[in-house]
Amino acid sequence: MAEARRRIVVTGGTSGIGLELVRRLADRHDILVAGRRADTDALPVLPEGVRYVHAPLTDPEAATQAIAEAMLKAGWVKLDNLVLNAGTGFAVEGGIESAAQIRETLAVNLTASVLLARALFPWLEKAGGTLTLVGSVAHTGQGLFPAYAASKAGLHGLARALRAEWSGRVAVQIVHPGPTRTEMHAKAGHDPGRLRDIFIPADRMAAMLEGAIAARRSPVTLSFGRYWTGRAAWSGKL
Amino acid sequence: MSAARRALVTGASAGLGRAFAEQLAAGGYAVTGIDRDAPGADAPFDHLRCDLADPGAVDTLVGDLAGRGPFGWIVLNAGISATGPFEAIPPEAYARLLAVNTEAPMVLCAGLAAAGALAPGGRLVFVSSLSHFTGYPGAASYGASKDALAVYAKSVRAPFKKAYGVSVSVACPGPLRTDHAARHAPEGADAAKRMPPDEAARRILAGAQKGRAMITPGAGATIFALISRLAPGPVTSAMKRIIYDKLDRSVF
Repeated sequence: MAEARRRIVVTGGTSGIGLELVRRLADRHDILVAGRRADTDALPVLPEGVRYVHAPLTDPEAATQAIAEAMLKAGWVKLDNLVLNAGTGFAVEGGIESAAQIRETLAVNLTASVLLARALFPWLEKAGGTLTLVGSVAHTGQGLFPAYAASKAGLHGLARALRAEWSGRVAVQIVHPGPTRTEMHAKAGHDPGRLRDIFIPADRMAAMLEGAIAARRSPVTLSFGRYWTGRAAWSGKL
Repeated sequence: MSAARRALVTGASAGLGRAFAEQLAAGGYAVTGIDRDAPGADAPFDHLRCDLADPGAVDTLVGDLAGRGPFGWIVLNAGISATGPFEAIPPEAYARLLAVNTEAPMVLCAGLAAAGALAPGGRLVFVSSLSHFTGYPGAASYGASKDALAVYAKSVRAPFKKAYGVSVSVACPGPLRTDHAARHAPEGADAAKRMPPDEAARRILAGAQKGRAMITPGAGATIFALISRLAPGPVTSAMKRIIYDKLDRSVF
């Protein structure tokens, strides 16, 4: 299945599932990672040859521009895969997030995804590419982090509509990972306790994600059902 | 005036919001209506001007409203749309749409709850859209904004019941006979088939009064929601044929 080198943009590619995905793809494909870390922090983490652009999605307009400019600078006129993987959230008591937490969550997870999908559409269309939105199994609702759940529901709806709109031009998919052993929970201020031990390892989630991207289906849930039946071991390759 | 007799409606100057505000006023509530536009001198409610796309203005509004509460009814209804091919609509319109439809009601909800402006036993209603049950080609970002809002409402329902004794509902009305819908509908669409906003408001308020989690006003909306759940793919394809393929212009 793995034939030509693909050009791939991954947001949130400096940690967690995104970084594991980049590690899987780096020696077979050309990758541009976007992240909120400074270049000096990000580049040592990334595999050799991977391009990096500092583009914090907390400012969706500026980040979209920075990523588009990085693609032009790299001489990319086509894009095979756009993987909108960056995500953030805050665990709170009583369902109340602060205004700043709500705004940051929506900006990074939802608004940036809408603006990036729109801005990079011409690149994707030239390649007959695939837009992958990384959602969450929380997209149906979660009182512990309401804005995060809401933002992922927004991505689900965006994917549903765009998949129909762009049918035959650009494939659009939403992939909902289940609980994964990353730093996400600690960053969100949530301690899953001993439950964390059964969470899916990030590299195994990335393997299932790669398979889902290659298959171009939507919507896809990547959780314990797939993991425990061994799908991480025989997911397809991009 | 007892706390429970105060009500708040966003997007109150026209359309469905106007119907909510008038019906709550007729029911004896002192209503504060939020809108960018003035409601006219005959409005039976107080008007506070606010552009919900402006985060600074929303923060100020939360402070002002906290002093006017606590509210027995809060209806977060304000919404705008953007219709046309996804890639043809300017990014500014998307940023604005997501700010008004998703961010503002969430910030208002959380801010008013934190300020103690929800009256115990009260009702909090989020107005989403019937598109929550399907894909909405031609209004992808609008659909996304309303999906996000619906799931936010679902997410806070249990914690808010527990913490404040407030019942949170999400309403998913279908096409309404409003100026807003007329602006975004394809040319030649039949307005007579759309539900009058008064009827939708009545059904939504009644459903919220009963404590329903999800309200699809009218038999048509309820059946559409059911079919969309059973056959999401074919319904989205049908939406594309009925709406997206007939769009003759972009409106945002």
